[in-house]
Amino acid sequence: MIDPNASVLLEVRGLTATVAGVEILKGIDLTVRAGEVHAIMGPNGSGKSTFARILAGHPAYEVKSGTVRFEDRDLFELAPEERARRGLFLGFQYPVEIPGVSNSAFLRLAYNTVLGARGRDELDPLEFDDLVREKMKLLDIDTSFLDRSVNDGFSGGEKKRNEILQMALLEPRVAILDETDSGLDIDALRVVANGVNHLLTPENACVLVTHYQRLLNYIVPDYVHVMEGGRIIMTGDKALALELEARGYDWVVEAHKGRDKAAA
Amino acid sequence: MTVTAIHPCVEALLQGSRGLPRMPLAWLNARRGAALERANALTVPTARDEEWRFTDITPLTRIVFRPAAAAPRLGMSDIAQYIAPEATAHLAFVDGVFVPELSANAGLPYGVVVTHLTAAFGTHAAVIEPHLARHAAFERDLFAALNTACLRDGAFIWIAKNQRCPTPVQLLFISTQQETAAHPRCLVVVESGADCTLIEDHVGVGDGAYFNNAVSEIVVGERARVQHVKLQREARSAFHIANSAVTLAKDATYTSNAVTFGARISRHNLAVVQQGEGATCRIDGLALISGRQLADTHTAIDHARPNGKSAQLHKCIVGDAAHAVFNGKVLVRAGAQLTDSAQQSRNLLLSPKAHVDTKPQLEIFADDVKCSHGATVGQLDTEHVFYLKSRGLSEERARSLLTYAFGAEVIDRIPVPSLVEHLERAVLEQTQARPQAGGEAS
Amino acid sequence: MSTVLEHLVNQPYKHGFVTEIEAETAPKGLSEDTIRLISAKKNEPEWLLEFRLKAYRHWLTMAEPAWPNVKYPKIDFQDIIYYSAPKPKKLNSMDEVDPELLRTFEKLGVPMNERAALAGVAVDVIFDSVSVATTYKQKLADVGIIFCSISEAVREHPELVRRYLGTVVPSGDNYYAALNSAVFTDGSFCFIPRGVKCPMELSTYFRINTQESGQFERTLIVAEEGASVSYLEGCTAPKFDTNQLHAAVVELVALDNARIKYSTVQNWYAGDERGKGGIYNFVTKRGLCKGVNSHISWTQVETGSAITWKYPSCVLLGENSVGEFYSVALTNHHQQADTGTKMVHIGRDTRSTIVSKGISAGSSNNSYRGLVKIGPKADRARNYSQCDSMLIGARCGANTFPYIQVQNATARVEHEATTSKIGEDQLFYFQSRGVSPEEAVSMIINGFCKDVFQQLPMEFAVEATKLLGLKLEGSVG
Repeated sequence: MIDPNASVLLEVRGLTATVAGVEILKGIDLTVRAGEVHAIMGPNGSGKSTFARILAGHPAYEVKSGTVRFEDRDLFELAPEERARRGLFLGFQYPVEIPGVSNSAFLRLAYNTVLGARGRDELDPLEFDDLVREKMKLLDIDTSFLDRSVNDGFSGGEKKRNEILQMALLEPRVAILDETDSGLDIDALRVVANGVNHLLTPENACVLVTHYQRLLNYIVPDYVHVMEGGRIIMTGDKALALELEARGYDWVVEAHKGRDKAAA
Repeated sequence: MTVTAIHPCVEALLQGSRGLPRMPLAWLNARRGAALERANALTVPTARDEEWRFTDITPLTRIVFRPAAAAPRLGMSDIAQYIAPEATAHLAFVDGVFVPELSANAGLPYGVVVTHLTAAFGTHAAVIEPHLARHAAFERDLFAALNTACLRDGAFIWIAKNQRCPTPVQLLFISTQQETAAHPRCLVVVESGADCTLIEDHVGVGDGAYFNNAVSEIVVGERARVQHVKLQREARSAFHIANSAVTLAKDATYTSNAVTFGARISRHNLAVVQQGEGATCRIDGLALISGRQLADTHTAIDHARPNGKSAQLHKCIVGDAAHAVFNGKVLVRAGAQLTDSAQQSRNLLLSPKAHVDTKPQLEIFADDVKCSHGATVGQLDTEHVFYLKSRGLSEERARSLLTYAFGAEVIDRIPVPSLVEHLERAVLEQTQARPQAGGEAS
Repeated sequence: MSTVLEHLVNQPYKHGFVTEIEAETAPKGLSEDTIRLISAKKNEPEWLLEFRLKAYRHWLTMAEPAWPNVKYPKIDFQDIIYYSAPKPKKLNSMDEVDPELLRTFEKLGVPMNERAALAGVAVDVIFDSVSVATTYKQKLADVGIIFCSISEAVREHPELVRRYLGTVVPSGDNYYAALNSAVFTDGSFCFIPRGVKCPMELSTYFRINTQESGQFERTLIVAEEGASVSYLEGCTAPKFDTNQLHAAVVELVALDNARIKYSTVQNWYAGDERGKGGIYNFVTKRGLCKGVNSHISWTQVETGSAITWKYPSCVLLGENSVGEFYSVALTNHHQQADTGTKMVHIGRDTRSTIVSKGISAGSSNNSYRGLVKIGPKADRARNYSQCDSMLIGARCGANTFPYIQVQNATARVEHEATTSKIGEDQLFYFQSRGVSPEEAVSMIINGFCKDVFQQLPMEFAVEATKLLGLKLEGSVG
């Protein structure tokens, strides 16, 4: 839902970044307003996941230049946990396994920390159990998740469902889902889409990083950006995603090169 | 280590080093000399040595073994049964001596050399020099030192860069004579990108108490692959000690299938050093022993560089009053991040007097690694036995079938179909022949 | 390793102060005269002096064990004080305790005053070489339980001590056990008579105070037929630049249907971040499941000491007896630990469980060494072992050396070992859910150690959790 007067939640300007000395992002600009759904698409290695992880504050990347404002704050002044507490959520492409740590205890700690930072009352284990079961029912997620260790021994699909559950619990302002749809069967895909659609209100926004158009059949994006070589080289609407599905990425890349040449 | 009077057994074994022709290669004479020095200095290991804690080799030291006197007369018909039909090249050594008439190594593709060492010293000294007696350390191992001190001949396989040896190469070491000692030696150099399947086969003819003291060095170049099948089917009164030293370069792959059936006392030391990044090894072993046999396998996998993988499955089926020993060490050195290592030791005891000592061992000095090991000692699963009986099999038949299946898991992984068939038959015969005394009976 | 982790492991040792207290101290050095002096100071009977001298003479013939995976300079046994006792020696009531001593233990959180004591925990307090106080003695005596210092037991119940002392750990068992048998100064004794379930936790608190003294305590716990007891021990020492030797022996005897649960939270001074100073903790602990259906359970949380060398063991002699070992061993900086257990199955239908969790940080080295031995007569014996290691940072080491020896075809033994880590990715995952790295580390460590902490009595479990948190502060991130 595009409303040009909606408040800007995330504003990225000229972002460049390196990992282990290699430049991955070469100048990204992106504005995300409340109520919007953005899809970032692009071939493998184009820098999509790096962009998502940098926004969440992953320590492996070094930001070289550019700015990111998250609501009224400089994002890079915030530690990863502060970003989370202020409502930035990253759904991981590969959620880590943490054996021995119970999923329900982890979810409750995260919930109390994040929502507590926003002035919400802490929930005790029983209260939290009620809440989480309600959410799980809504999202059609198996409650056996609660008795297991965090992502430990979860299948790929189960891990992604667990990410969506966390998103639903933590009620983020901006949710960034990093290839949450890849490798999912149709049921799991519906769970993910369902979770995102529940989250979307005029106050929140969502950035979907994805390789395939498939997820966009369930969540209609307001903007589709094509990323290549660490830059956003084309922006369009849902029609662009369909065209990418039909024609692949090469033509966009070629067109972009052509433009570059023309400019030069 | 204190220097004591040399053990008579070692002294006899060292007779093999006397009268060795001096080679025109100075480095070879020097290495033999250094090994001789160590063989003289090292004491015979006892149960007080951690590495020999469970393996008492006193029976070996009571016999005075001599080098085989005359070349024995064996014909092709005597050895044909041991040759795998898939192997287009094979070398035969009888009581430690290379026998050209019993060997076949003609018509190999370009870049594949299969010959004996004394021939290769003349043609491939530059390939041999950096490797021979460089990988199998004899500083602290008496038996490796003895083998090296007595080094006269042996097998040599060289696969040139990016070449493939399309069929397995079989090295057949046959022992025929009572109270003799042989020191088989192999050097296998597989250059980068090359590929080779090797069958190292130790066979006993007759039932003599001989001593077979083997050393193999296997060098696997970058992206190269070696599949190593080691069969130990020595005579039941024999002694077999083998050192296999394997060095892997970057992205190299090594697989080992070691099957132990024979010998009164046997010991196999398999050391794999993953010297290059991203190297992979898979090591599988099966010991199927009975009577008063002792089979000891010591493996050491050294993850020296990052991104290495190792997987190991070692199984023992122990009947009668036999004794199986397994010591599997996995070392992950500092900096060898992202190592992925899994090891399993599985042991099946079939009779009340059978016993097993197993010690998986992890030594880890890097934090971002995935390592696991497991060991079990037990009997056949009674649920499985019951299931088969409920399908009409007798208790005995059910047990022998399950025992066979336990061993077959390792044998099935051998990359030579005729050997799989042959060995599975041998396991089946062994498991049927023996009364099944274990389980709930005692 | 990130700075958060680094910061998390580098918390100062809180028990490192020295108490200024008047002590009676024997001159340094070890000889038959030293042993006679100790024995005379304690007014011991002749048989005990003989026990000591026999052990000493045997010790002289022995060599220090070389097999543990630890490195330390040679110990000069003539440079150690073998007897140091605060004056006045023994007290009739708490009111006579030196106020300085009371304050010391107050500071350490050890209740010596019954009124202020933890509800339901009786405490014996050992300061350097001697027991200085035992609480709740009378209440225990009412149900027939003897809980006192071993010196007192030698005086008051010589026949009991003589019947059991050295029967589980013979005086010549190993180098440090022999040394202990020769020079032990004090320790705790408990005796739970037939059919009695001990109504409270029994606890001993050990404190080394003198710089040059060694601590050689000897603990003996006997549970008669059908008796049961839960026993806790805690230990601390001041910070000195030099190393102190602690060579204890603990013997447990469980008769038919008896049950002994022994828990340790070991927090001896571990040396500084460069590895200077700290306790050498060379301890022999062994339990004998002598009777049928007897049960001995060891739980240890080992966080202190420069070097730890101990293998609390169970000898499962009685049919159907059960041995358990639950351990968390944490090493940081330059600490070295070579610890584990021995489960020796002799009787039929004996069962044992081993759960070991090793955490290595800094430049430390942590080894699990265990033996599971199934003897020829131990029909249907069972063992299950789980040994997990966690590495924090790239300079530490974690080793697993399980020895499995099976001489019975009806036995079943299972051993599993895994490694895990607290890496950047795990911490980032927690952070991205709003959880600080400190909380994340504590949650991961607690999850890792859960199976062991569950075995500790409630108050100790809380203590242990806090202790691990403190020890690791600064090491993660």
